[in-house]
Amino acid sequence: MKANIVIIGGGISGVAIAYNLAKKGMKDIVVFDDNYMTGGATGRCGAGVRQQWGTKGNCIMAKMSVDFFETAQEELQYHRDIEFKQEGYLIVATNKEEDEQFAKNVILQNSVGIPAKQLSLEEALEIVPHLNKDIVTSATFCNTDGHLNPFLMTDAYYHAAKRLGVKFFYNEKVTDIIVENSKITKVITKNYEVITNKVVNAAGGFSYEVGQLAGVELPVYSENHEILVTEPIEKIQGPMVISFSKNIYCQQVPHGSFIMGRSDLDVERGHDIGSTHKFLDEMAKTAVNLLPPLGDLRVIRQWGGSYNVSPDRQPIIGDTDQLEGYYLAVGFSGHGFMFAPMTGLLVSEVILGLPTTIDITDLHIDRFKNNETTEYEHSVV
Amino acid sequence: MRIKNHPILEFKKQSTINFTFDGKSVEGVSGDTIASALHNLGIRKLSHSIKDKRARGFYCAIGNCASCNMIVDGVPNVRTCVVLLEEGMAVETQENKGVLYERT
Repeated sequence: MKANIVIIGGGISGVAIAYNLAKKGMKDIVVFDDNYMTGGATGRCGAGVRQQWGTKGNCIMAKMSVDFFETAQEELQYHRDIEFKQEGYLIVATNKEEDEQFAKNVILQNSVGIPAKQLSLEEALEIVPHLNKDIVTSATFCNTDGHLNPFLMTDAYYHAAKRLGVKFFYNEKVTDIIVENSKITKVITKNYEVITNKVVNAAGGFSYEVGQLAGVELPVYSENHEILVTEPIEKIQGPMVISFSKNIYCQQVPHGSFIMGRSDLDVERGHDIGSTHKFLDEMAKTAVNLLPPLGDLRVIRQWGGSYNVSPDRQPIIGDTDQLEGYYLAVGFSGHGFMFAPMTGLLVSEVILGLPTTIDITDLHIDRFKNNETTEYEHSVV
Repeated sequence: MRIKNHPILEFKKQSTINFTFDGKSVEGVSGDTIASALHNLGIRKLSHSIKDKRARGFYCAIGNCASCNMIVDGVPNVRTCVVLLEEGMAVETQENKGVLYERT
């Protein structure tokens, strides 16, 4: 088989890149994934979509991605509703430092057109009455944030890309990338040999290993982030509620279940995506502390998924001087799903040598050569 | 509905427990779960499917399936098959997914 490009990873980033390349007229695009569709981080994510970030780059990526999600069903001509629910993100502050940091964040967010605003505790309680008013000091709210069904969104991109001729191979692991004279010549999988000179690494949790296959060293690692879902109840919570200091995000999905997650600060790096009692215990305590009525809900199940973490918690997008024809969409640090429309657009522009829609110098891997220019994203759970 | 005479086992007479089902005063006996008391009264429909509101009844009887979820003393999603009946309980059919709290 011959291909103009091989995309490794058929999660949300891979399908978005494939779709954008095909839409711009590229032919013979092949996507390999060693799992079933959404079997990796995409299908395991918390499904939140927010624009309230602490760095300008993340704010712009998120804003433009939301603009896409709003019209995605139409643009991708998908036969189903993709379940994009825009009822906002309520980011609660629990101390003075957060109050002050959030005020700065809102100014930054407003400067790029994100309609976030800072709220008093009373205003926050009007939006989510079951917040624990003894621990929340203030909040920020953006009404166009929300959440989206990751399975349907991936499937929508997949079908649109397929109609444009992209070939997808799921459950097909890439085992080697052949590089001769500093150029990519072949991608080897379990069942195929593909002659190509371009590869995109969109391998999510396995980005580092897919870099190693081609001799490209990436400053990323993976770690397990756990999550749980409760039984459904009638709707009581519109927005995603999130706290960085309490280490929690918690939303009620359209079905009525609550989905919530938090980070384990002691988690070991690696590919374990198991479930732990420690998480269940800490998550339940944190959720009931911040949102007390949730204590009456039963947990249905819990699972884990990989964050692919970069040194500054911002994605790595673009080419690399380590290997010609090797492109990166890695290191999303837990936010690849919500940035995917921009990932798809920007990576396709880089590959085709087009001017990029936004300046992505700050997302290029070279930023780590010069640490002075690196902004660190703190607004992460 | 109750087995009164059994060739091997002996069932002693149990004390009566009064409770209400959808507002009506009814009776069960000591040792009943809520669902077994309702079953004895001939009540077969305990809840509804969430989407199409189809009737759901006494199904797994071990607290796994949610088919017997009802409102008990105002608390929704109580698994009535594994909760013992108590004097004065108010048991109601749940018409929705359950209301966690009333928004004021």
